[in-house]
Amino acid sequence: MKKKLLSVIMCATMVSALVAGCGSSSSADTTTDTTTETKTTTDATATDTATTDTSASDDMSIYIVSKGFQHQYWQAVLKGAQEAADELGVTIDFKGPDTESDIAQQVQMLNNALNNSPDAIGLAALDTQACLEGITKAQQAGIPIIGFDSGVPGAPDGAIVANAATDNYAAGELAAEETYTLIKDKISSATATVRIGVMNQDATSESITNRGSGFIDKMKTLIEADGKTVSIEGHDKWENKVEGANVIIDVAVPAQVTAELSAIDAQNLLNKTDTICIYASNQHSGEGLINGDANLGKLGNSIVGIAFDSGELIKSAVKSGKIAGAVTQDPVAIGRNLVELAVKAAKGETVADVDTGCKWYTANNMDDADIAPNLYD
Amino acid sequence: MIAKKTEKKSGVLLNNPIVKAIGTQRLIALLALIIIYIVFGAISPAFRQYSTLVNIFDASYYIGFMAIGVTFAITTGGIDLSIGTVLVCSSLVTGALATKYNVPIALTLILCILIGAIFGLMNGLMISYMGLPPFIATLGSMMLSKGLGSIFTKAQSVTWPQATEADGWFRSIFKVNITNANGLSTPIPTGFILLLAVAILMAILLNKTRPGRYIVALGSNIEATRLSGVNVAKWQTLAYVISGTMAGIAGIAYAAVYSTLLPGGGAGFELDAIAGVVIGGTSMSGGYGTIAGTLIGVFIMSVLKTGLPFIGLQTHYQQVATGLVLIFAVFMDVANRKKRN
Repeated sequence: MKKKLLSVIMCATMVSALVAGCGSSSSADTTTDTTTETKTTTDATATDTATTDTSASDDMSIYIVSKGFQHQYWQAVLKGAQEAADELGVTIDFKGPDTESDIAQQVQMLNNALNNSPDAIGLAALDTQACLEGITKAQQAGIPIIGFDSGVPGAPDGAIVANAATDNYAAGELAAEETYTLIKDKISSATATVRIGVMNQDATSESITNRGSGFIDKMKTLIEADGKTVSIEGHDKWENKVEGANVIIDVAVPAQVTAELSAIDAQNLLNKTDTICIYASNQHSGEGLINGDANLGKLGNSIVGIAFDSGELIKSAVKSGKIAGAVTQDPVAIGRNLVELAVKAAKGETVADVDTGCKWYTANNMDDADIAPNLYD
Repeated sequence: MIAKKTEKKSGVLLNNPIVKAIGTQRLIALLALIIIYIVFGAISPAFRQYSTLVNIFDASYYIGFMAIGVTFAITTGGIDLSIGTVLVCSSLVTGALATKYNVPIALTLILCILIGAIFGLMNGLMISYMGLPPFIATLGSMMLSKGLGSIFTKAQSVTWPQATEADGWFRSIFKVNITNANGLSTPIPTGFILLLAVAILMAILLNKTRPGRYIVALGSNIEATRLSGVNVAKWQTLAYVISGTMAGIAGIAYAAVYSTLLPGGGAGFELDAIAGVVIGGTSMSGGYGTIAGTLIGVFIMSVLKTGLPFIGLQTHYQQVATGLVLIFAVFMDVANRKKRN
């Protein structure tokens, strides 16, 4: 027994050393370092008593495993989370893999989080299946997991106590509805087949696929309601080929999440003579669309561009009319709700999913008070 | 070994003097490039557009500069795996300096190249003076540059100033948009001229100057070169400094075309560049390098990358195609050499 305890303590020390090392190399701000230090002490107490103390929120620690840091979107999530943490007096540790393709790295981060026995874990899974083992471990250890951003879809029942997320399917539908008003006339007056491009960063993460599916399904319904036929092509996940359809929805998914491959996907869609509209379902794809158009200049002229999220490149493209409009989520609210839910769950209170909402913005309303704070650089 | 190289020229498949001058593998690579371009153009009318050509150029700049640089490292018989992440690191750091710390763009461009050169110098010193194997030394600096770039930018993405902003002038190094009376703008790929100019300079450096000949010689037989009184450590270091410097230039090219740099990215770029070098005919075992071949190799990959979607194949197939081209190119080289022996 003593041996076991000793080895547990040793493990905890080694892991905290590891985390401290990671913290200094990939920390998003300087506060993370101090957070890790306090964590080491809470870890020791946690190992000694072998239970998590949830009576006071002062020494509560929440581990947040995001999908990455690189996009400014995650900085806005972190900002919201940090604000809520400061208000509630809890410490948060915000981690994320190098890129949104690094599934293995994220799994390791989740395992590190578990080894630190935090009071709650926030998780935006890149791939639910890969995280399954960690999720089960957390369940056994009684650590509540709160899903955020895209959450942890398809996780075992009860493993995820609540989600603070945009309803991505609904966000995709919103994009389709707004897009349809822009291209309705083009579709109804078309004599030949017209094409709507959909750029999805990947076909594995739930947020991206749902935004794609929401858009595709809604667009199909809207077009069919006006008596036209729709064929969905380009990627097996959504494939629904109809010969001689009036409208082709063409889905492009790059081999890797890199700027140049997304730009090439965009160029390919832009170059097809029957393309009337392209929808890019996240910041990365949106930037790929804008980069791909650099030499073609078709966006805002012959082709309607629709994007998702923000960032400098997308914001200025919306302003100049290259991108007709975009859907923005509320990343600050995601971060804030995540921490609030996590604290409640750690205290044993019942929690329920929170839809943090999304909004359609164009050059006309992007400076409005209810839109501007959600648009990050 | 040096004698073997001259032997290579006389023992080629075709004894035509023009072929001999260009070199067989380079000729095959060039023909392959032309054939691929024509085939894509024949299948897809959109591929024949001028804008597609500019897209191909855009996609080739950063790989091209890296490949020219790494040709030197490979010619010494070594390798430089750090160029991809050094590209991202230098561009991230200087991009952040420009946008967050208001450092003048001209200065950041110089710094970008300088950071690349420093990583190159570090690699060179580790390899030549500390005796580390090139694979390990540059693997180390690959991880180092990846991490340092993330630390400096606090793991945030950096978006370089856009063409419409005053600070975006640096983009015109690689592309100038000429607007005609009707308001239509035509992109002029000035970056291609720069790439070509740098390639010519580097080809002269590699083949016609003393440092270049030393680099080739030490790649062929480092002991023999050392014994003949050449300071091999110095020239070996120089090869890696060139490699790093070119990665720095590639960082500017990448920023000009793709605007946004993501920390943690860049790993894998070096393999595209190395593949271009090998397809072009530079020997992986050292002692023979060709800048012209490298450029052809890079363009084969760019044309494949940009062109495959035009004939209805997703970008996934580009990786399959490049893999096949790479294997075929090296096989041709090996078969050719066997025949001579």
